[in-house]
Amino acid sequence: MFKVAPLTKIVFTMVVSLWAVALFSPLALSVVVGVQLLLMVLGRVEAKTYKATAYLALFAVFLFLLQYVFVPDTRLALVTGLKMMAMAMVFILVLATTRVQDLTAALVGQCRIPYEYAFMFTTALRFVPDFLSESRTIQEAQACRGYSTKGNIVKRMINFLAIVKPLVLRAISRSETMALSMELRGFGSQKRNIGSQVALGWHDYTALSGMVTVTLGIFLY
Amino acid sequence: MLEFNNVSFSYHKNCPVVSDLSLTVNPGEYIAVVGRNGSGKTTLTRLIMSLVKPVKGTILFDGETTKKYAPADMARHIGYVFQNPSRQMFHDTAIEEVAFGPLQIGISKDDAIKQAKEALAKVGLNGYETAYPSGLSKGQKQRLAVASALSMAPRLLILDEPTSGQDQQDKALFLTLLDHLHQKGLAIILITHDMNILAEKVARTIVMCDGTKVYDGSTANLFQFHDVEKWGLKKPTAVTISHKLSPYGVSFSPTVDGLIAEFKANERGAVGV
Amino acid sequence: MSEIVISGLSYTYPKAAKPSLQNVSLKIDSGAFAALAGLNGSGKTSLCLAIAGAVPHYYGGAMAGQVYTGEVKTTESGICEIANIVGLVLEDYESQLVTLTVEEEVAFGLENRGVEQSEINRRVKEALQMVGLSGKEKQQTAALSGGQKQRLAIASVLATKPQILVLDEPTSALDPEGASELYELLHRLNQDHKLTILVVEHDLSLALPFASQFILLADGSVEKAGSPAEVLQYMGSKQHYACSLPPLWQLKLGLEPEFSSFGDWKTDDEAANELIHCLEKLEAGKSA
Repeated sequence: MFKVAPLTKIVFTMVVSLWAVALFSPLALSVVVGVQLLLMVLGRVEAKTYKATAYLALFAVFLFLLQYVFVPDTRLALVTGLKMMAMAMVFILVLATTRVQDLTAALVGQCRIPYEYAFMFTTALRFVPDFLSESRTIQEAQACRGYSTKGNIVKRMINFLAIVKPLVLRAISRSETMALSMELRGFGSQKRNIGSQVALGWHDYTALSGMVTVTLGIFLY
Repeated sequence: MLEFNNVSFSYHKNCPVVSDLSLTVNPGEYIAVVGRNGSGKTTLTRLIMSLVKPVKGTILFDGETTKKYAPADMARHIGYVFQNPSRQMFHDTAIEEVAFGPLQIGISKDDAIKQAKEALAKVGLNGYETAYPSGLSKGQKQRLAVASALSMAPRLLILDEPTSGQDQQDKALFLTLLDHLHQKGLAIILITHDMNILAEKVARTIVMCDGTKVYDGSTANLFQFHDVEKWGLKKPTAVTISHKLSPYGVSFSPTVDGLIAEFKANERGAVGV
Repeated sequence: MSEIVISGLSYTYPKAAKPSLQNVSLKIDSGAFAALAGLNGSGKTSLCLAIAGAVPHYYGGAMAGQVYTGEVKTTESGICEIANIVGLVLEDYESQLVTLTVEEEVAFGLENRGVEQSEINRRVKEALQMVGLSGKEKQQTAALSGGQKQRLAIASVLATKPQILVLDEPTSALDPEGASELYELLHRLNQDHKLTILVVEHDLSLALPFASQFILLADGSVEKAGSPAEVLQYMGSKQHYACSLPPLWQLKLGLEPEFSSFGDWKTDDEAANELIHCLEKLEAGKSA
């Protein structure tokens, strides 16, 4: 997964999703899941990726049980769980093995998505950790003023404002500063040069033809 | 009033943030906590507020372990003013903002408003009851945050870097406010990077370095006898100069005014002989 | 030339009741190290924004007068053109950072300007080295400490090779070591790379050893500007600035009425030496 271009990975994501929808055999779906797991190992992903996958597996089991409770058909329940697993896992796999900025570059350069939209995507990711730590700090600050999450639901909803309002105000002031910073640094000028190298190589063409073959195979048989 | 017995804390195993910390805070004390960013100062105060619990050791408040208390329980006795006061403000008026704490712990609306009014007066914000908190100046916001803590009638007030980002006039005003509160019997723990505040205002200093307490004692002795730079602190101007002048008979003083007085005393002594 | 010349600058933010800047005229020489002081609300940030062209280009509002940065008149150039000359580090520098990793952050301004990839790589390396962040290229921005984030913000403006660096209250979140390190970095940039530096600072004792010029703002106007000694003398003569004086100068002005007048102290050592000299003279007088 580390030598192919991001565009190939985007195609891979879509193709795997397609397979997950098209396939109805537990065995075939298991193969798809297994191959993805193998790719994770080969791509030497971080421990947190496996953790995310484990959570996903747990959720798949839950889905399996849920399906089984409503329609006691083992095969159908198994297919449902595996489908979800195969489809969601590919996103984890691709995100874990690709730099987000390369994905953005591919989306902009090859998929013709306007740069501003792709940039919004990466910036959103950039702010997730900050946002989480900010909301934790606010919660702590309010707890130190006696803020409690007890009481009936109405009271709790009102109290929740104590967290949400400062958080929103902070987010607004942050985004204003960020907008100024981007302006100062020439964002949106026409001269933009996409930094990352995302051109397709022979690895990609091999991988892409492989995917097409498998897809055709699935639909023909 | 407050006692740490061999307290250790870590987020991850084998990576202690605070280790083997013991200290006592007596009623009405004014204590400064100093050290590098990341030395464990804030963790120390978070432990006091029960925002995090010790992994080892015990924390006693009024002789009782704080283990079973939530931060909201501690808030009845201890006020905590966070670094950036705008993080906690969300009401439309200052009075509502200050009354928030008392209302949360079940005090009746009338009493809460009454307590809030008194707290605003204590910090010199009387007349600002209906002001919009976010529209206040930096210095006023900081004092509003102090009022929010005072409205709970705490016996100990913890402040995390309250003067950072304030101009020197606001800072002086704020420190005078802390002096007043201290004189009225409130215990204060002040986290600060400002060595001049330390030298001029605070009698007892705790120095944190790499998660342990490396000094706990009089501020004057700290500067007179210790090489504070190894703990990431900076000597105040008066201390540096005082040290250099001591071989010439000028007595040590950690404050500018003290140094001026010593220098003059030395001169008079010289002329007198 | 990278001097800053401001003449008759007045500015009012949109919907603001009163102007933030009123008839500010000021010159900061090429290669100067200027410190801008004044109470909160005196217009320091607005002045920084005006020098970087964000006032009026980004904020709108009503502006009168001129600001020249080098040859460029800010009202007649785009904000990005001005950014080629003036690098601005905002007070909320954490929000100034927009990308996921350290190297992207530094490359961001260059990519937007259409700089070639090989040149980007070279400049990213150079800028990170200047601020002491080499080796952290691949790190997540969010995982940096406060001081590191600030140095990253500085690196990301340095990468576009500005001639003027403007920093708004850079030390308010730093510990004493961090603050000294920052000023040493600014001093190096000023001396070795000939950058003109303008820094907003409440604690003038931090800037005193390095600054060549102090500017004191009050209510949107320049109350006093000149050499650090001139401005500090002036502040010493005003009761309400007494607490804003660096301790070193509180000492100097406290001793001077009774002793000889001292030099324009910039460092503690300088002061100590002169005071020792003074004591030795007194001692000699005593034994004579």
